[in-house]
Amino acid sequence: MIYGVFFALWGGVVIGLIYWQAASYLGRVSDDLIGRQAAYFSMLDEPTRLRALKDYDTLETRRLNAWGEFDARGNYLSGTITALPAHIPINGDVALLSEGVSRNDVSGNDHGRVRAAAVRLRDGRVLMITRDTSIVDRIGTIVLQALLWGLSLTVIPGFFGGWLLSRGPWRRVHAIREATLPIMQGNLSRRLPVGRRGDELDMLAGIVNAMLDEIERLLGEVKGVCDNIAHDLRTPLTRLRSRLYRLQQQFGENSDEAAAIDACMIDTDALLDRFRALLRISELENQRRRVGFDEVDLAEILREVHALYLPLAEDRGQQLALELPALPPIHADRHLLLEALSNLVGNAIKFTPSGGLVEIRARPAEDGPWVDVSDSGPGIPPDQRDAVIRRFYRAESSRSTPGSGLGLSIVNAIARLHGYTLEIAGSERGARLSLHCIEARVA
Amino acid sequence: MPRILVIEDDDVTAREIAAELISHGIDVDTIANGSEGLLRAADPRYDAITLDMMLPGMDGLSVVTQLRALGVTTPVLMISALCDVDERVRGLRAGGDDYLTKPFAPDEMLARVEVLLRRHRPQSSQTVLAVADLELDLVRHVARRAGKELSLLPTEFKLLEFLMRHAGQVLTRTMIFETVWGFHFDPGTNLIDVHIGRLRRKIDVTGLAPLIHTVRGSGYSLAQND
Repeated sequence: MIYGVFFALWGGVVIGLIYWQAASYLGRVSDDLIGRQAAYFSMLDEPTRLRALKDYDTLETRRLNAWGEFDARGNYLSGTITALPAHIPINGDVALLSEGVSRNDVSGNDHGRVRAAAVRLRDGRVLMITRDTSIVDRIGTIVLQALLWGLSLTVIPGFFGGWLLSRGPWRRVHAIREATLPIMQGNLSRRLPVGRRGDELDMLAGIVNAMLDEIERLLGEVKGVCDNIAHDLRTPLTRLRSRLYRLQQQFGENSDEAAAIDACMIDTDALLDRFRALLRISELENQRRRVGFDEVDLAEILREVHALYLPLAEDRGQQLALELPALPPIHADRHLLLEALSNLVGNAIKFTPSGGLVEIRARPAEDGPWVDVSDSGPGIPPDQRDAVIRRFYRAESSRSTPGSGLGLSIVNAIARLHGYTLEIAGSERGARLSLHCIEARVA
Repeated sequence: MPRILVIEDDDVTAREIAAELISHGIDVDTIANGSEGLLRAADPRYDAITLDMMLPGMDGLSVVTQLRALGVTTPVLMISALCDVDERVRGLRAGGDDYLTKPFAPDEMLARVEVLLRRHRPQSSQTVLAVADLELDLVRHVARRAGKELSLLPTEFKLLEFLMRHAGQVLTRTMIFETVWGFHFDPGTNLIDVHIGRLRRKIDVTGLAPLIHTVRGSGYSLAQND
């Protein structure tokens, strides 16, 4: 765009310069010519002059030049010019007559600009010679038209071509942006599109892709290490737990030893739960198949979850409300959906103080129903909302609450498996977690 | 004395299973090979089978499928390192009666085996279950304790039915959750406790001998205390 403007300006300057040079040259030539002619004619005596002027007329087929003789008071005597302009200097200097002169040899409407030289002859008469400069003007017009045409022929296709040229890269950048969105959302298996041109953009995309490969590999390794640790530690932990269990059996039901061992077992169970949750997430993340997806009645699942958690909420002095409008069936894995929604509700109950309120609300929407689980707990600060979905993350204020810190990660993994989204927002009282059951448009 | 066939190729796991079962008075035979296991499993003297899914010779899924094709109805507890729901569904569809993921707590395994043993015994088509002075009429959906009718919610009724059908046996929280609710995920530690607590408050009212007992480290059992 900017280049186009510069190009147009520069082109204009160049062509203007050419025009100005040509015009002034042509002007000088004609000025010189009529100056000399006037001086020459003025030196001749009257019969020779009149004859020469007659010849001059005859030779002047293009009717560019004209002459006229006037008496000392400016009245017409002879020649093709019929009137002497009032303000012309009569000293041989060339002047520009922009309104032209009236002539008797060409039809009257051709009054182009003329350059004129007038000299006083020895007998007191005035001889004026003019040269039509409209040729210079015409050249100017031609140059100007050439300028306009040239400019429009270069600038318009230039702009259009530029637009066409820039549209390709723009479209590719747009495609790259589209491709990065899922990557930014954590789907590291996606890559940027690389064209076959091998230009700068393709090279850049290639570099980024290579970088993504490496990041994916490293993340996979980290995850693999995590999973392996979880997996490998599970067996000895289970053994530890069974040893504790057997040890406990040897003591009496109500002995101090049994109580101490019980505490050990509770801790071991917590550890095992955590590893189980970790492995469950990685299992869900690796599960790409859509096995077990079926028509599912979301309302029924919500009623089940509500019934499952109602006693727990009541025990904690909380209200567990369920708001169910009519919902169309959705396409989902019933067990996984139950697991996700249970986790959401269980989580909300866990973080809501006694006497609080937990609400389960379903909202039908065009692209699939929403399930909102809102609580009157401490809420999740906006800057921590993305983090709570990550593994092991727990809000600063909730460190003292028992749990694996993996519940929401499990919900998120299940949501992703379904192509659903999990949104975290604040409500007027506490936190609101919304699962959007986006219906995939499957044929 | 009940007899159980353990088909398991991992030596440590096999010994662990055997030790736990033997210590509870169950006879155990151990086989480490799938095809051999299938031959032995057809023996009608076994009361239950624990079957590993990954076996040399023939995998667990094929073993149980063939077993059922042969008309053998011995209950089978499938044991697998995969806790995938799909895997569980496949195992149960092939004819397995229960599914346990490795690594497991021995008491969990024992509790499940005991439930299978109970199931294998000819189940009288009882319409009324009774433990001490607690009665559950399955047809009329009425529960009574010491002659007094109890008002139970549907879930509580199902929970009580499960506990009563397996009276005297230890039932783990996972088993209760899987059987009564039909869910196969980890509901968190105290959810089942809360439900049991509710039921307990309705059944074990003050003045009567408690019937629902907490088994430390394992789960619950419903029984009349001696």
